[in-house]
Amino acid sequence: MSKKSKKDATTEASVEAAVASQDVVNDTSDSVEVADKKSKKRRWRMSRRGFLVGLGITGVGAALGLKFGVPEGQLALAGMLDDAAAPSNVKGSPVAWFEVGTEGTTLYMPKVEMGQGVHTALKQIAAEELELPWDAIQVVSSPTTRGLADGFGTGGSSTVSSLFTPLRETAATMREMLKTKAAEKLSVDVADLKVEDGVVFAAADSSKKLSYAEIVSGVSEWDVPKKAPALKAQSDFKYVGKPMQRVDFKDKLTGKAMYGYDMRKEGMLYGAVARPESFQATMKSAEVGAAKSQAGVVDVVITEDFAGVVATSRAAAYKGVEVLNVVWDEHSGFSTADAMALCTVEDGSGLTVQREGNAPKALKADSAKVIQAEYRTPMAAHSHLEPQAALAHVQGDKLEAWVSTQAPFVVRDDLAEAMGFKKENVDVTATFLGGGFGRRLSGKVAIEAARLSQATGKPVHVGWNRTEEFKYGYLRPPTHNVLKATLNGSKIEAMEHQVASGDVAFPFFPEFLTKVFGADFGAWRGATNFYDGIENRRTLSQRVKLPFDTGWWRGLGLLANTFAQESFMDELANAAGVDALEFRLEHFAASEDGQRFRGVLTKAAEMADWGGSLPEGHAQGIACSTDVNTKVAQVAEVSIENGKIRVHKISCAMDCGLTINPDGAAAQAQGGIIMSLSSVFLEKVDIADSRIQINNFDSYPLITMRDAPEINVEMVDSGPEPFGVGEPPMGPTAAAVANAVFALTGQRLRELPLKLNA
Amino acid sequence: MNLTINQQDFSVSDEDTTRPLLWVLRDELGLSATKFGCGAGICGSCSVQVDGVTMRSCVTPLVAVEGKSIRTVEGLATENEVGEEVLHPVQEAFIKHQVPQCAWCMSGQMMTALSLIEKNNDPSEEEIVNAMSNNYCRCGCYVRIKTAVKEAATLMQEQEA
Ligand code: FES
Ligand code: FES
Repeated sequence: MSKKSKKDATTEASVEAAVASQDVVNDTSDSVEVADKKSKKRRWRMSRRGFLVGLGITGVGAALGLKFGVPEGQLALAGMLDDAAAPSNVKGSPVAWFEVGTEGTTLYMPKVEMGQGVHTALKQIAAEELELPWDAIQVVSSPTTRGLADGFGTGGSSTVSSLFTPLRETAATMREMLKTKAAEKLSVDVADLKVEDGVVFAAADSSKKLSYAEIVSGVSEWDVPKKAPALKAQSDFKYVGKPMQRVDFKDKLTGKAMYGYDMRKEGMLYGAVARPESFQATMKSAEVGAAKSQAGVVDVVITEDFAGVVATSRAAAYKGVEVLNVVWDEHSGFSTADAMALCTVEDGSGLTVQREGNAPKALKADSAKVIQAEYRTPMAAHSHLEPQAALAHVQGDKLEAWVSTQAPFVVRDDLAEAMGFKKENVDVTATFLGGGFGRRLSGKVAIEAARLSQATGKPVHVGWNRTEEFKYGYLRPPTHNVLKATLNGSKIEAMEHQVASGDVAFPFFPEFLTKVFGADFGAWRGATNFYDGIENRRTLSQRVKLPFDTGWWRGLGLLANTFAQESFMDELANAAGVDALEFRLEHFAASEDGQRFRGVLTKAAEMADWGGSLPEGHAQGIACSTDVNTKVAQVAEVSIENGKIRVHKISCAMDCGLTINPDGAAAQAQGGIIMSLSSVFLEKVDIADSRIQINNFDSYPLITMRDAPEINVEMVDSGPEPFGVGEPPMGPTAAAVANAVFALTGQRLRELPLKLNA
Repeated sequence: MNLTINQQDFSVSDEDTTRPLLWVLRDELGLSATKFGCGAGICGSCSVQVDGVTMRSCVTPLVAVEGKSIRTVEGLATENEVGEEVLHPVQEAFIKHQVPQCAWCMSGQMMTALSLIEKNNDPSEEEIVNAMSNNYCRCGCYVRIKTAVKEAATLMQEQEA
């Protein structure tokens, strides 16, 4: 995908978001919302056609959409769906909707399941307010023409936290609508009805009852409550806060679940695309050469900037590409050392992204006593195990695509632009994803498949190999962090954090917005100093433009910035001669945030028996972080074995507000810690002569079970609202390990991956 | 060429018999439970059993498996008398301990675990780590995989008894 189309897609998305924030009257031709002023009722009438067609086999049902962050009572209603009245065109773009049919309830979400368990968490929330038995509701990722516009995609650990309240309100509204209708059908006053397990019954006479399926049967007019009904009390929760089993595992473990790489269609072919050696290369010329006469090759597609082969097998497609005559204008000369040199903090040149008190003044006043340290992290690759993959089928001016993507709407828009198709003629279905980690937000692979499908009229699958995945995507950018502080006794007087980083979020935003933001919020994520007991704090973020593509990565800048800040805290604790846990606790104010930090730090310390006796040759380190308002603290226990750092145990305490699924949250924490450890020990991408130097896992190994420590996770619940859990656990691990290594060896390691000095 | 996969016979083209088993399974036969991660024998996503031994199907040429018994994840679960799916103990254990996240690596993990347990139904932690440390899991499920493999061994012991 070109940078340009990324930007356009995002502009579009923000326009949609703006529309979605307004009140909405549904105006699709198949359904009418009638405001009945006299009865003060809002009435939702569905035409017969919409009603029947939309529900397909089940024949009867109701649908109700919800919008992000809607105020109470402004629920958007989406009519029943058929191909002609796609709800993604509904004004107001609700982002999800329920269908209650005679065969059960389905929640359609534009949010994708990439391993984080989001469908399970959303099901817990929906089943809770709808009072449904666990098996009576399913959550489905909706395709873009039937699904509802979601320009943002799935990421940023935001799905559950942003949808928690709107989803509850919608489900509760739905429940009340069903009750109202049941009251009519049963001739019982609605106030005398109760709901349990998907059945509405008269409190006084439980033989008077109707299941949801029976209630919706034959109904074509619904009364919509003006206001969202009261929500359930937390103490009554049956599913929320309980360790519910993941809903997607049985299909995944029996091989039935379909991922982008698995998608197939009758008559499909396979595609492969010619690629240059270096980044920033452009195509000079391309000729078919001997490709067309190769066995299995069906067609060759050459345009100004694209050369690809369609064949009856993947192997034949790749062989065809090998014999194309493509001449590239290659880029040359750029190396890792150049990237590091560019990515270097120039004192004071970054944009101020945090200012509390007056750190520069305080540092200057005490300049002789300034403690300073700098830290680095290298480029890294996402390495999700399923490489980019898409199946596309172009028929005339219509296009269907099944893609392993975190952002089906971005892919749709990219496809529409690249192919010159109308958006509503492009239907993108997000499949299951073999990992995401921020690497599935571009439409590139889908565009490749679509171009090749258009030429042949056949469905074409393009699945990248590992080398393509490593060399032609985007990387985690390199970072350089410089920290300065002064101590007054055992207290930090002032602290300054300067971050230089390649782009993280900016490549996905239009140029004008990057100017508005000034500094890449992805790059400084996790860099602002959260010790609110320190009076003078300043954080600066310096944008580094690099010639190769960098972008989103799980936690964005969190890993690098927390590594720097929390290692530096340890250096300061050491300089002050105070225990690393005590030192941290003393630098939080008597604030709510401070309280939550103390909560997780104390918990992690208790889990790890901080300060207790350890086996000979072991030591501990501690670190904490905050991300999407979730606080995490971790204690690492390490030793040195055969000259190498060995991590034995990580004790992790996490406060994500209200935990929807404690077991799922623990799994996310375990996974995030392992992914961080992989960066701590191994991961590093090198560049030589403008070529990315990793080809496969032999040149870019990942951590395995052998080096996986014992990991204990405990949740510290702190409130009625959930915050994200996918990324926050990535924060403290690197610093906790580095701090433990210092405690053990006296070596302060300030660069990832950590390497002991000989 | 004839292949025996999950005790069923399949006939595939015998043109280029050196082509990797992985793509024959996935693209030619539609058996897509076996996953692709690297194509170089490193990540383990494509692990299958050939005559009871774990092989990396991405680097296994077709000729090497002719006449042998191939087992993939599609062949783990069985059916009971009333036609219901009965999961294999390895699958049971992986669900019980809620092991996967994205699950792309899990077919390879389960097939590798199966070969280990079939040889040694009471593996020590060290034996599990040795057997499982050539399979990547980017989602970082290692802690749970270890527990589930142990549990699967116990379940399989019980089944044998
Ligand atoms: S795909 Fe075969 S080992 Fe990675
Ligand atoms: S579960 Fe995602 S790679 Fe293992």
